[in-house]
Amino acid sequence: MMRRVHAPVPAAVAFVVLLVTSVLVPLLSGCAPRRGSADGPIVVWVQMDPDEKARFDRNLEAWRAAHPDEKVDVLTFDTENLRQQFQTQAAAGAGPDLVFGPSDQVGPLSLVRLLRPLDTTLPAGFFDRFVPASLDTLDGHLWQAPDQLGNHLMLLYNRKLVPVPPTTHAELVATGRRLTARAGKPDATYGFVLNTSEPYWLAPYLGGFGGWVLDGSRKPTLDTPAMVAALRYLKSLRDEAGIMPREADYQVAETLFKEGRAAMIVNGPWAIGGYRSAGIDLGVAPLPRLPNGNWPQPMIASKGYSISVNVPEAKLPRVVELVTYLTGDEAQRRDVAKLGFFPSSAAAFGDSSLLADPVLAGAREALGRGRRMPVVPEMRVVWDAMRPNLQDVMNGAKTPEHAAADMQATATAQITALAE
Amino acid sequence: MIRAPRWYPYLMLGPAIAIMLLVVFLPLLYNIWLSFRNMSLAHFMDHSFVGLRQYALVLGDPVFYVMLGKSIVWTAVNLLFHALVGVSLALLLHGPVRGKAWFRALLVLPWAMPQYISALTWRGMFNAEYGAINLVLRQWFHLPGIPWQTDPFWAFVAPILVNIWLGFPFIMVVTLGGLSAIPVALYEAADLDGASWWQKFRNVTWPQLLPVLSPALILGTVWTFNNLNVIWLVSQGGQPGDRTHILVTYIYKVAFSYSRYSYAAAFSVVVLILLSIFLLFAMRKIAPAEAR
Repeated sequence: MMRRVHAPVPAAVAFVVLLVTSVLVPLLSGCAPRRGSADGPIVVWVQMDPDEKARFDRNLEAWRAAHPDEKVDVLTFDTENLRQQFQTQAAAGAGPDLVFGPSDQVGPLSLVRLLRPLDTTLPAGFFDRFVPASLDTLDGHLWQAPDQLGNHLMLLYNRKLVPVPPTTHAELVATGRRLTARAGKPDATYGFVLNTSEPYWLAPYLGGFGGWVLDGSRKPTLDTPAMVAALRYLKSLRDEAGIMPREADYQVAETLFKEGRAAMIVNGPWAIGGYRSAGIDLGVAPLPRLPNGNWPQPMIASKGYSISVNVPEAKLPRVVELVTYLTGDEAQRRDVAKLGFFPSSAAAFGDSSLLADPVLAGAREALGRGRRMPVVPEMRVVWDAMRPNLQDVMNGAKTPEHAAADMQATATAQITALAE
Repeated sequence: MIRAPRWYPYLMLGPAIAIMLLVVFLPLLYNIWLSFRNMSLAHFMDHSFVGLRQYALVLGDPVFYVMLGKSIVWTAVNLLFHALVGVSLALLLHGPVRGKAWFRALLVLPWAMPQYISALTWRGMFNAEYGAINLVLRQWFHLPGIPWQTDPFWAFVAPILVNIWLGFPFIMVVTLGGLSAIPVALYEAADLDGASWWQKFRNVTWPQLLPVLSPALILGTVWTFNNLNVIWLVSQGGQPGDRTHILVTYIYKVAFSYSRYSYAAAFSVVVLILLSIFLLFAMRKIAPAEAR
């Protein structure tokens, strides 16, 4: 057997401690909060689509030309990472000065007190020049300065196949049936496609049947006759009207439409550019009325800038100046016709030159049928409660009644857990 | 013989120990500390000590036992096929095969590809209407397509298939290494005794392979049990309806979708304890003979 060598333990421990501290101390000081420093670049974290980012870069260029001494550092994230990273960093006293993203990220962020309330941070009257539909109040404050309005679902149609868009349920079914052939075969064509696996696409129908996801006191209202009717309607478009493919998630719907094998699709303004460059002769209209005569109510949302709590007072004026420029009229008008969403500044929103393009005019009309998506943190749970049950209804595992009851039960339980 | 000073080994081990402390033990301790608190969206900055409450929530939730069962099925099925396919292919490749180097390179390919690329490619192939797999089933075999992404059963089978495909090359490579280390003399002796192919495999190859294979299988078990990427990417985060989760994907979802950090921390401590028990048991049971 080998002879065991016993080393002097205290010396070894001391050595490891020394080593760890020599590694740890510089490391930790490196990521220590930079709270309090007024100079240094303005750090902006953004979640943007490529076209949106290109516009942002041009705006930033214009800003830099007017402010040659300013340095702005921009970092891009996807939606989920933006929220997670900001939450972690800002809680540790670090992170960016400005964060740009969809309006519903404000719910979780402000709740954890990581944002400055903008109604008291920005100069009085700052928000007067915005379209009211672009602003969200949560807990009595505004948390985001929007630079756009939209994100609403609408009917996008291929004008080669559908010269006149349907405006009623009966017209939708008639047009859809005329254009559906060889359903289920690999070379099938469909009249109508929509992403049936995401509850965002269910929301317009829920609204159209008189329901909504949350009530005024932020309690879920999912187990309602309106939800049952919306689920049944979506399923009947496929099973009874027979105008939709058996299974379609976002990708499938998108591909079918781009290849000209689906005549009409339900999608948002973000898709306009892609369809145009795919060579589709595109038309845009509001979603057709439901059998009850109501218009579906797509959710509308904005995107914009929020200011971190960690911005020191001394730096705040610089940050405010940048936000003011980026949400100002000049910045909002730049390239807006290319982007498919609408400016949140009232002057730019009302500009009739925007409506010269029939596609944008259609998108604008659809926007008028929309209703603001709640920005409260409970929405995340609501989506997660709706998603599986919507999918279960579509694949026949649950009845609409059963699914609606399960949505409500899951959402209620998860909201309780959120507050734990 | 030159004798190093007594502290010399510690100097050499120091950097590794320091890094381990930093990236493994500190986060682990933080995680354990967090599991006794109530950090969540509602108590993000002002969390407090709640004792064993999170553990009671985890162990009192039937979801935990469902996920545990699924994790075990996921791990067992994957490991079984990794071993079966990996060892069989290694045995084939070890024999006199023309173009051996090419086959070997080809078979290691799934392992060499970045996991998320494979996983997303497979997800595309599993699409019910336009995916390659259902097209082949329908057009070549005239079978009905399989609802890979909407039926909870098949949606769980899909990531298992992907992970088997991703995992067998590791076992194959390890086995090939083990096979080439077996002395030829043993086979010659067996031939002299008139042993059949099966007898040679049973009495020479397998016992000689076991010391190499068992650590690989133990590692494989832990990796597979904790494999988040494949199941998350192929099922798009547990779809349909959160019914394709295993323990680790569920923890990820709870922590980063719902920000229930302390609950997720308690959940992962429970998983850590389960895996530690398994490891202690497995190391003792199937460790190489000479170590016993």
